[in-house]
Amino acid sequence: MLCQNCGSAEATTHIKRIVNGEATEIHLCYNCAEHLGYANMFSGFGFNISNMLQNFFPEFSRALPTVDRSERCPTCGTSFEEVVRTGMMGCADCYGVFYDKLKPSLSRIHGRATHVGKSGVAQITAAESPKLEDTLTKLKDELKEAVDTQNFELAAKLRDEINAIEGGTK
Amino acid sequence: MSKWYLLSGAENDVAISTKVAIARNVKGYNFTVKLTPDEKYEIADKIDDVLDEKLPGKFVSTPMNEVGRDLQISLAERGIVSPEFISFAEGRTLIMTEDESLSIMVCEEDHLKIQALLPGLELEKAYELSNTLDSVLDEELEFAFDKKLGYLTQCPTNIGTAMRASVTLQLPALAMRGQIGRLSATVAKLGLVLTGAYGEADNPVGSLFQLSNQVTLGISEQAAIENLKSISLSVIEQERALRKELMENLKFQDILWRSYGTLKNARVISFGEFMEAMAVVKIGVAEGEIKVKNENLNELIFTMQPATLNVENGRSLDRQIRDAKRAEAVREAFGE
Ligand SMILES: [Zn+2]
Ligand SMILES: [Zn+2]
Repeated sequence: MLCQNCGSAEATTHIKRIVNGEATEIHLCYNCAEHLGYANMFSGFGFNISNMLQNFFPEFSRALPTVDRSERCPTCGTSFEEVVRTGMMGCADCYGVFYDKLKPSLSRIHGRATHVGKSGVAQITAAESPKLEDTLTKLKDELKEAVDTQNFELAAKLRDEINAIEGGTK
Repeated sequence: MSKWYLLSGAENDVAISTKVAIARNVKGYNFTVKLTPDEKYEIADKIDDVLDEKLPGKFVSTPMNEVGRDLQISLAERGIVSPEFISFAEGRTLIMTEDESLSIMVCEEDHLKIQALLPGLELEKAYELSNTLDSVLDEELEFAFDKKLGYLTQCPTNIGTAMRASVTLQLPALAMRGQIGRLSATVAKLGLVLTGAYGEADNPVGSLFQLSNQVTLGISEQAAIENLKSISLSVIEQERALRKELMENLKFQDILWRSYGTLKNARVISFGEFMEAMAVVKIGVAEGEIKVKNENLNELIFTMQPATLNVENGRSLDRQIRDAKRAEAVREAFGE
């Protein structure tokens, strides 16, 4: 199918739109899609990153012949070949497995940036909970004070707590 | 309760609406592409449970296969769901507030697309709305996140904040003066993208454009919102300056009053013809020549769409009947 915009290149991007009360699809080549601003949007908008990955990968694989396209994500079973073909990751763990390989083509979008901005709730909780070392130091100080003041009941309790933490971290 | 687009927003002579969308995925589930319909509904149930507990009575959850085709398309016409979301219904659920300003598309591309829609230029408010809902859900569901890559999404182009903010701008004067190409090249250098909202991408119906942020990794939500806001304001100023200039032009004045005549008198009008005339009349309204409220005109962009008119009338209307109903509603808006 030819691109509906330039009429010369093969259409690889298929954009769903609503026109006159009906759902339709327009078909564009990669260049026209990018030129018209459809590249790099949520693909709900119609853009498919796989075009871009495929445009980049032949070159990339020649440069790095060791890339194993059949490698699979252990969590969801998605293969690297599938990621390149569809432009989609299969699960969150795919990022750990494939991201470095995709980096050369993705750097076109993201550069060398790392995330700044909002953090997931699990991250905030981890950062806010006091570190184990701090807790241990505090408990040991309390233990020393308890022994010094001959409060042996409290000292025994504190020792149990310290043992539990140290046992857990070893 | 009134729909969000019936209210008036800031800078509404040029800014029609503001949308902030955030993509999220629930930890412990594969991404949407690898889920069965049952797993997709399971995720929707989990979201419903959290909302019932934390924000009871605020949201209504509807599986898309229970929504009629006209309503599906109407939801897309009004920007509440994407055309992709209604391309098939199985496994997909729409959760939204009664005024439709806050919604979640479940299992569109990512597990959740949390979306806030407001009239006019209201970026901070729209971000605040979607961000609050995101935090409430994250606390219970825990979303996939990586320290270096940020929020993880099915498509690697969206990682990081996974946030797209966009402002719909009506730019008839810039379009008439052939300035859109220059403008979209300029905003591209500033990390934004300008696309047509309806119809053809570079020559959209009614000169409606969407300006949105492109970068999601390495920029905070606040910085992206701030950037989009300041560039939107600058585009709005450019449009206003050109509108003033056009009003001095006799040829334009003629087009303006003829367009006004069309809207005030037509007995049958298509959505395209309505939008073209309305975009021109917008300039006369902004310059005080024509006395109609901007919010009343902006509202028509949503209510006059074909499938939305069908839904309003409770059935799929024959095209000519629909165009007649539209003409009637437009004449009413112009105080006939
Ligand atoms: Zn083309
Ligand atoms: Zn995976």
